[in-house]
Amino acid sequence: MAKPRIAVFKFSSCAGCQLELLNIEDHLLDVLGAVDIAYFVMAKRENHEGPYDIGFVEGAVTSPKELLELKKIREECKVLVAMGACACTGGLPSIKNFAGTQRQAEERVYTELWDIKSIPAYGIDYYVKVDAYLRGCPIDIGEMVELIKSALLGVNPHFRPHSVCNECKLKENVCLLVNKGKPCMGSVTAAGCGALCPSLNRPCEGCRGPANDANAASLAQTFLTELGLTRDDVRRKFLKYAGNTPEFRKGAEAV
Amino acid sequence: MEAFVLPKAELGGFVAKLKADYEVFGPVAKDTEFVFGPIAAAEDLRLDYDTTILPPKKYFHRPVETLFKFDGAVEIAGEGEKVGKQVLFGVHPCDVNALLSLDKVFLGTYPDPYYKARRENTVIIGLNCVAPCENGFCSSFNTGPAMDAGFDLALTDIGDRYVVEVGSAAGKELAAGLAAASADDLIARNKALRACQQKITRRIDAENLGELLHQNVEHPKWEELKEECLACGTCTTVCPTCFCFGVKDYVDLTLKSGERPRTWDSCMFYEFSRVALDHIFRPDRAARIKQRIFHKLAYFSQQFEGSPGCVGCGRCVSTCIKSIDPVEIVAAIQANPNPPKEVKLFTPVIKKITPEKSPWEPQKAVIKAIKPQTKDTTTYTFAFVDAKVQEAYTYDPGVFNMISIFGIGEAPISISSCADVKDSFDHTIRAVGNVTNALAKLQVGDIVGIRGPYGVGWPVEEMKGKNVLLVAGGIGLAPLRPVIKYIQARRDQYGDFEILYGARTPNDMLFTDEFEEWRKIPNTRLYLTVDYVPPGVEWGHNIGVVTTLFDKMASRPENTIMITCGPEIMMKFVVRGLLARGFSPEQIYVSLERRMSCGIKKCGNCQIGPVFVCQDGPVFKYADIKDLPEEIF
Repeated sequence: MAKPRIAVFKFSSCAGCQLELLNIEDHLLDVLGAVDIAYFVMAKRENHEGPYDIGFVEGAVTSPKELLELKKIREECKVLVAMGACACTGGLPSIKNFAGTQRQAEERVYTELWDIKSIPAYGIDYYVKVDAYLRGCPIDIGEMVELIKSALLGVNPHFRPHSVCNECKLKENVCLLVNKGKPCMGSVTAAGCGALCPSLNRPCEGCRGPANDANAASLAQTFLTELGLTRDDVRRKFLKYAGNTPEFRKGAEAV
Repeated sequence: MEAFVLPKAELGGFVAKLKADYEVFGPVAKDTEFVFGPIAAAEDLRLDYDTTILPPKKYFHRPVETLFKFDGAVEIAGEGEKVGKQVLFGVHPCDVNALLSLDKVFLGTYPDPYYKARRENTVIIGLNCVAPCENGFCSSFNTGPAMDAGFDLALTDIGDRYVVEVGSAAGKELAAGLAAASADDLIARNKALRACQQKITRRIDAENLGELLHQNVEHPKWEELKEECLACGTCTTVCPTCFCFGVKDYVDLTLKSGERPRTWDSCMFYEFSRVALDHIFRPDRAARIKQRIFHKLAYFSQQFEGSPGCVGCGRCVSTCIKSIDPVEIVAAIQANPNPPKEVKLFTPVIKKITPEKSPWEPQKAVIKAIKPQTKDTTTYTFAFVDAKVQEAYTYDPGVFNMISIFGIGEAPISISSCADVKDSFDHTIRAVGNVTNALAKLQVGDIVGIRGPYGVGWPVEEMKGKNVLLVAGGIGLAPLRPVIKYIQARRDQYGDFEILYGARTPNDMLFTDEFEEWRKIPNTRLYLTVDYVPPGVEWGHNIGVVTTLFDKMASRPENTIMITCGPEIMMKFVVRGLLARGFSPEQIYVSLERRMSCGIKKCGNCQIGPVFVCQDGPVFKYADIKDLPEEIF
């Protein structure tokens, strides 16, 4: 079998996930041995047209032009992967969805509005079928490699949709919320990052989106009544990365 | 009780002596909390600790552990990390008792070689509690503040020295050179422990706890907890008696070689009870909370010879963001209980099986024949590569094997042949998950891994001299086919035999080429039905769900055993229909085989109430399971 052709695309995002992809050094030679990177503008000068076996899409869709491109990419890729928080749930760009009308959001950013054609920011599965998700801001390289292997084997990747708390406790971290009173979102956020932030003494910001059966409303109450956050602070926490998801929306609306 | 004293001033020398022969682990400070970690010298030890983040369970049942490595299907190397001699220093009574409970899980049926090796190589120096911890309620279960078993040495702080009790020959050796405890020392020890006991105010009234919970399966408290609980699984992760885990294969980029590790898992997680086709048996958070509390406070002792499933260490309370507390839950139920009713507690039969080699390591088996049954279902004929293994292989109708495709994983699949055939065995498999889809790509001559046989099969002995009614739906006919073959070969030992078989369409029926043969078995009737007939397909039999055949059948409740397997919704209506026709729950046998995972009563995935489907079943008498706290059908 010929090596599978892989493509990497970018929409509205900071390009951090692509950069993380370039940090793959430890696995780079093995991955290059297993796949053919056909299209990756950030990494190579010579890029090839589709079709591709696996397409990785970074970024949220925030304009009609991006939407047309996304639909073309979907047709060209056998397996389509949403790469990173923006492509999975709308990510940081989706903050604008909760800041008034689209026009109001545009006015806050641009002075010349005549050429601005923007739409609310959604993850790419709002528009096209997505086969797999690499969560996080940025993605986790271990999960990336696991996903490539699973796609080559034709099986579902072994991702853990459990809470970040699970990975955090396995590392025997002192709990930032219970023991330090910090508003950590690990209990309702999907694991897979190895509890990276809490392990570095930083509360989880929820970048990987909701864990399965996340009870954000209950955590929002704790933030409000026990940690003394303001209503706006609690709302902002749940809308920051995955406010488009019904689970985190419940957290924002619970206060 | 043989007892010595260890002056605190001599602790350093004592630990240094241990270090000569053992790796020493004990409580150390981590930020504002404590964890069990390596001890370089006695100064590292924090014997004033209250509790640790993770229990010492982590030294025996590892959070992540490789069961074996593989290279393709041919090379399988038993793994398990090398275990040196180690000492756990300063283990509190709750955690010592938790290990005694875990021993029942991992050293009972199919002893786990990795856990066993570590247990045998570890010396436990316990530390009785002279001050209660904030959230502990150990005295409720008699698992603290003092320990009376499970240690090699047990220390009690009596001021300037420790009283050192001896609990084993190894402990006695380590105590060599210590001065004997005086009568005053022992009085001081008892005083200190009694004083601590009196200060423990948090308590679960453990009297008839199992009955209380079983009577309150439905209680407003569970719905209240559902609103509170974050489903983060921290309570189970830090629990010293939780044993559940998941097993997955991981390959390297060659896609051929890799390893099969097990990783701690939790019944608090949404996908814990997920099976093929993405069905989840416990999707409701309230049901999962109930499972945890019931397992800790009731099921565990039903499952493992009265061992406590909760030792009152209080970790789940201390680490819960919402402060969900078993003491408070039980008190709330006791304060406002449902009206009493009689409850029948299921008591499993404890088996002890000790295989020669690791129960995790599959035997290699070769695919001898492949026979398509329907569009997505195939019968594979296997034989073990090792002729001696094949020769010795025997099984009861209705039991199952774990089939491995190395690099993809394992799946439990019932055996569809009868053990009367000696040189091979069959599995009839529908391609619906990772393993079964990978199997569908294999060819005759390819190798797979097989562990088994496991479980309890159909009651072919009890059925002797009686009439048999067999009701199958779809793929459910596969585990019933061995019974048909078994009865066919022993026809004179059974009465009338009726087979009712339903499938979605005529093209979804299995073993159609055997129907004529089955019809020729004396005193046997075969009735067929399908849900619908697609245009252009010929069908001369019944149309409708399988229960519509009940009006045609001759079987009556008298002297009849009924066995059924199929989708749970089908079995539910079959059971209801037969009860309405006068069959008793004692006459009805069902198979719950979809729920199994490890096959050897270790991973916990298949639990329904106190039942382990993989070992207590998959075939159950309906009377035994109809009152389980988790309604089945």
